[in-house]
Amino acid sequence: MSRTTSTSIEGAAMKTLAYFLLFLVLAFCVILLAVVLGDRGAWYFAWLIGTPLIVLVSAAGAAWLDTHEASASAHGKVHKTH
Amino acid sequence: MINGTVVDLSRVQFAATALYHFLFVPLTLGLSFLLAAMETVYVTTGRPIYREMTQFWSKLFMINFALGVATGLTMEFEFGTNWSFYSGFVGDIFGAPLAIEGLMAFFLESTFVGLMIFGWERLSKGQHLAVTWLVALGSNLSALWILVANSFMQDPRGAVFNPTTMRMQLASFGALVFSPDAQSKFVHTSIAGYVTAAVFVAGVSAFYMRRHRHMDLAKRSFRMAALFGVMATIGVITLGDALGFVAARVQPTKLAAMEAVWKTEKAPMPFNLIAFPDQARRVNHGAVRIPDLLSLLVTHTFTGTVPGIDALERQAARRIRNGIPAVEALQTLAGDPHDAVARAQFEAHKADVGYGFLVQRYAPDLQQVTPQEIKRAARDTIPAVAAVFWAFRSMVAFGLLMLAYFVMAMLYTLRNSVQDRPWFLTLGVWMIPIPFLANECGWLVAELGRQPWTVFGVLPTWMSVSDHSVGYMVFSLCGFLLLYTTFIIIEMYLMTRAIRIGPEAPGSGGQSGHARAAQEAHLGG
Repeated sequence: MSRTTSTSIEGAAMKTLAYFLLFLVLAFCVILLAVVLGDRGAWYFAWLIGTPLIVLVSAAGAAWLDTHEASASAHGKVHKTH
Repeated sequence: MINGTVVDLSRVQFAATALYHFLFVPLTLGLSFLLAAMETVYVTTGRPIYREMTQFWSKLFMINFALGVATGLTMEFEFGTNWSFYSGFVGDIFGAPLAIEGLMAFFLESTFVGLMIFGWERLSKGQHLAVTWLVALGSNLSALWILVANSFMQDPRGAVFNPTTMRMQLASFGALVFSPDAQSKFVHTSIAGYVTAAVFVAGVSAFYMRRHRHMDLAKRSFRMAALFGVMATIGVITLGDALGFVAARVQPTKLAAMEAVWKTEKAPMPFNLIAFPDQARRVNHGAVRIPDLLSLLVTHTFTGTVPGIDALERQAARRIRNGIPAVEALQTLAGDPHDAVARAQFEAHKADVGYGFLVQRYAPDLQQVTPQEIKRAARDTIPAVAAVFWAFRSMVAFGLLMLAYFVMAMLYTLRNSVQDRPWFLTLGVWMIPIPFLANECGWLVAELGRQPWTVFGVLPTWMSVSDHSVGYMVFSLCGFLLLYTTFIIIEMYLMTRAIRIGPEAPGSGGQSGHARAAQEAHLGG
């Protein structure tokens, strides 16, 4: 294995480790926030969790419509071909 | 002694400016998160229709945002100009959340709004999405601090009265921010904004579908709004219940007015579905009652009771009598802050000092106070029952109507048949004013129900105002009404114009799914 390839693999591993640590710290922050808010501000916590949930359900609905239309369009094409 | 007409005019002026401002705020709170949802789909799927949707709804968001800021600015100054005693009395507590709100609104929210609008060609997709989410977060966090400040007025926690400075001082920032009223009020108001935006987006999309314009954009916007709306409406009703539960404990007079409960009854208490409260006679006319429901709604049990206005007035009279020595002690301490006897007297009666202030309206010399004046002041502790009762019922009725609408909207859009139901599309357009009316009714319940206090149980409204002349108040009130009505007309004109024009690239949002798929395949390939 050449030195350049080895350096590139090490670089990728370091980058993965950095991301791992970043997300680990983020996860700890979220747990801390959840514990503090869950204890003292249950409704704030509900808002913090509920809002992204509403957004994601709404976004999933749009994606579902795209899939539905794409499938209907493909189905129409198949019928035309036959 | 402050002129009673000036007090009333100050209240009308603040109510008018707040109600005007509150026409704009909820749409900003909700539409910002709907924009975030649309752009999230754009970034994850890469489909240009979602970018077009985000940009189109951003335009309407901006019109509303600009006018919301313009109407909100004056209110912060109004605290100083018209409510100077209030500002001095509670400024140490009220000022902190208000200052943070200013930072949120002007630094976080406004900065990122600029980036959101002008950054489409300058930022990467991911960066722009982050900016849009920050706009949504900034808008709602800005509202959080206003509502924390407002909740202090409803349930003054985290503060103590200092008899030396004659001001209230912050004792616990945590108690202020995490008060149950602040929490439930913020989430209730924020989610009410989501419902408002969902009805607005669904209504405008229905308008397009009714005219077969911008079908791709309208169908997707409608579906997103319907799902967003149905979940938000469930949330807003849940939080409404939580807010009522809090009011039962911290503002029993507001709750008694909301439910027009003149007399305390044995549990389980009936619920007045409809009634015509008569404040002078202390009775309800033409009441339609549902047995046992009030206890269940308010206390979540069949064994809980709701104190009636009769009991609350007796309690207020007792507290007024207990508060009088506290106010007398304060008068002594104003002359000699080191008077130990007066300080001990204040400490013994300080829990009811606000009730002592209340009777001063009728008896400036508390040595001469009569039982009739105490009775009159005790009667003042009950807000305008009919107004609070009907504002509350209107809000609930509008909320239930929106829930029914969104359940139907969700069913029709998930079956992809909403565009084939012209009557439902027409209904969608007519639904647009409903959340705005519900929001205004909610605000009236909160603020009228707090009377006769600016800070519940601590500072009466009559003491809080500035000593202006009636002429000044009438002049400034007329000025505000004229200016804000102009703002509403401008908003309506700009919104209607932008909606009629539609998305910027005419026809692009109205392409068939097939044509769009072909175009996207071409772009992708």
